[in-house]
Amino acid sequence: MNDARFPDSWWLLSRVRGVGLVLRVLMLASTVVAVGCTWLAAGHTVPVVNVVIFGLALACVALPDSHVGLLVVLVVGAEWLVMVHDRATPWSVGAAVSLAVFHASMAAASVAPPAATWTRAMCRRWIRRSLAVMGASVGTWAVVAAIHGHHEASSAVLVAASLVAISTAGLWARDGTLDAGPHHKFAKSSK
Amino acid sequence: MKPEDCWRPTTAHARALLGGLLLAVAAVLARRPDLLVLATPLVGAAAWAVMLRPRCMPQVNHSIGHGVVREGEATTWHVEVRDPEGRVDDVAAVLEATTWIDRQPVDGQVAVSLRDDGDEPLSMVIRPTRWGSRRVGPALVVASSAWAGFRCAPKGETNARTLVALPQPSRFDASAPPVRTPGLVGVNRSPRQGSGTEFASIRPFQPGDRLRRIHWAQSLRTGTLHVTSTWADHDRHVVLLIDALNDVGESDGIDGRASSLDVSLRAAGAIAEHYISTGDRVALAMTSARGMQRLPPATGYRHLRRMLEVMASIEPATEFTDDGRMPRGLGQGALVVMLSPLLSPTALQRAVTITEHGLTVLVVDCLPADINQSDPDDPYVGIAWRIRLLEREREIRRVGEAGIAVVPWRGPGSLDVVLRDLHRHAGVRMARRR
Repeated sequence: MNDARFPDSWWLLSRVRGVGLVLRVLMLASTVVAVGCTWLAAGHTVPVVNVVIFGLALACVALPDSHVGLLVVLVVGAEWLVMVHDRATPWSVGAAVSLAVFHASMAAASVAPPAATWTRAMCRRWIRRSLAVMGASVGTWAVVAAIHGHHEASSAVLVAASLVAISTAGLWARDGTLDAGPHHKFAKSSK
Repeated sequence: MKPEDCWRPTTAHARALLGGLLLAVAAVLARRPDLLVLATPLVGAAAWAVMLRPRCMPQVNHSIGHGVVREGEATTWHVEVRDPEGRVDDVAAVLEATTWIDRQPVDGQVAVSLRDDGDEPLSMVIRPTRWGSRRVGPALVVASSAWAGFRCAPKGETNARTLVALPQPSRFDASAPPVRTPGLVGVNRSPRQGSGTEFASIRPFQPGDRLRRIHWAQSLRTGTLHVTSTWADHDRHVVLLIDALNDVGESDGIDGRASSLDVSLRAAGAIAEHYISTGDRVALAMTSARGMQRLPPATGYRHLRRMLEVMASIEPATEFTDDGRMPRGLGQGALVVMLSPLLSPTALQRAVTITEHGLTVLVVDCLPADINQSDPDDPYVGIAWRIRLLEREREIRRVGEAGIAVVPWRGPGSLDVVLRDLHRHAGVRMARRR
């Protein structure tokens, strides 16, 4: 993915201090909150899955600049999909905020080596941006809650259009352009 | 490589993008709008990162405040980052740990928000703890864009730099008068009276005295001519002869234990500084891994700096190649101050040889007092060390009997007694001259 990464290891974990420590605590806490929100929304839980999620979160604490975080996101999402049946539950906001905190703390932990001291400006900017995407989640939930109860007939065209829109957005989000050369692809950039 | 190729997507961007899109696809396929709520922050972060993706490669340069410092003194290592586009958010730097370099922050890691803090805080205090040519770096400098979505490690001037740490001279002062030298110019008071500037006495006029020396007040009072006599001035030529063939003992740098070479160099620096400050000519000769290194005699603080730089470049010899011969170019009438741990008989032999050539030699014993060579697994190491020390004592006694003073280095005033004796007995050669 990116060769410009700081060395991370269990030994370096012992050197974490200050904001770096707070970020790692946030990784664990946000995962627990996300699992808790799923539990509260579903009314029951599968302990084995929760243990797996927590184990993956622990790995993220040691390796914030890794793809383990993606696994956490996907497992939490899959658990939500399977367990929760209330489509307009406000607990989805809690789970989304937890995922936002989890992603932001992991991303923030990867910009600086573990023992580096964060400046106030860095902290302020990361908090500001995290609050912005959390606010977007609340907005999405408000839209979902508003349209909840309107039962529309399923439309293959609408589904296909949605998938095409998502794919196009994904292609654009990959590099900020739709005609990126092969050197921009993830597979290439991992060299 | 194109500038934009420097900016590669990170794992954080992959997580936001793939996680968000997969949740969105699942939401569409499973008709679960609540999953879109979960996907929103991730998709938002990914879109944000892409919109603010930098296209220009930032220019990185790192520098050291001072290229030459004394050991124990601190200087600053600074990273300068220029981002013409203004899209770089955070910059972090890690300075690789190297031997005999202390870093502050201790882990050598700093991070700043480039736009808000600038690159001023992207600096680190570095402090060489031992003399020598020290490597600083290399450094890893990483710039990140918004949401840590893209990252770049500019291949700028981040290679290792060299910091020369000069030996920190010990405290030293000598109040002893200079050893008699044949010259009649210089800044030191000669033990002889003659033409000079420093007042010696008022004495009756003698044929040959200059008229401008007549002391008229005394002459009128006594009725006979009196003249003012002065001490002659002369210069001093000091040769520092450093034996760097051995480096015995553990060195913890300026703040801890000192090895024999540490003691030798710091003592040599102190002696050189002292004699340079009094205007004497000081030369340097060193026996080390590079053979015999020489620096001709000169005066002034620029010469002192040059001597310290040569000392900082010294490397102890790994194998014994010392022939014990007298170094060339020591000069007539020089005071040779030899600094050595005296573990090799050839070092003492060299002192004897120099004395036999008519030069005054003062040997400074630089073996640390607290040194103790022992191996818990091999009791014979300790015994061998004690035997060697006994032999060394016997050799030093023999050299002393030959008229060469050997004094241990004890800082200020270490050499006073011996220099006073040399001044008193100047001209009387104890060792047989060839």
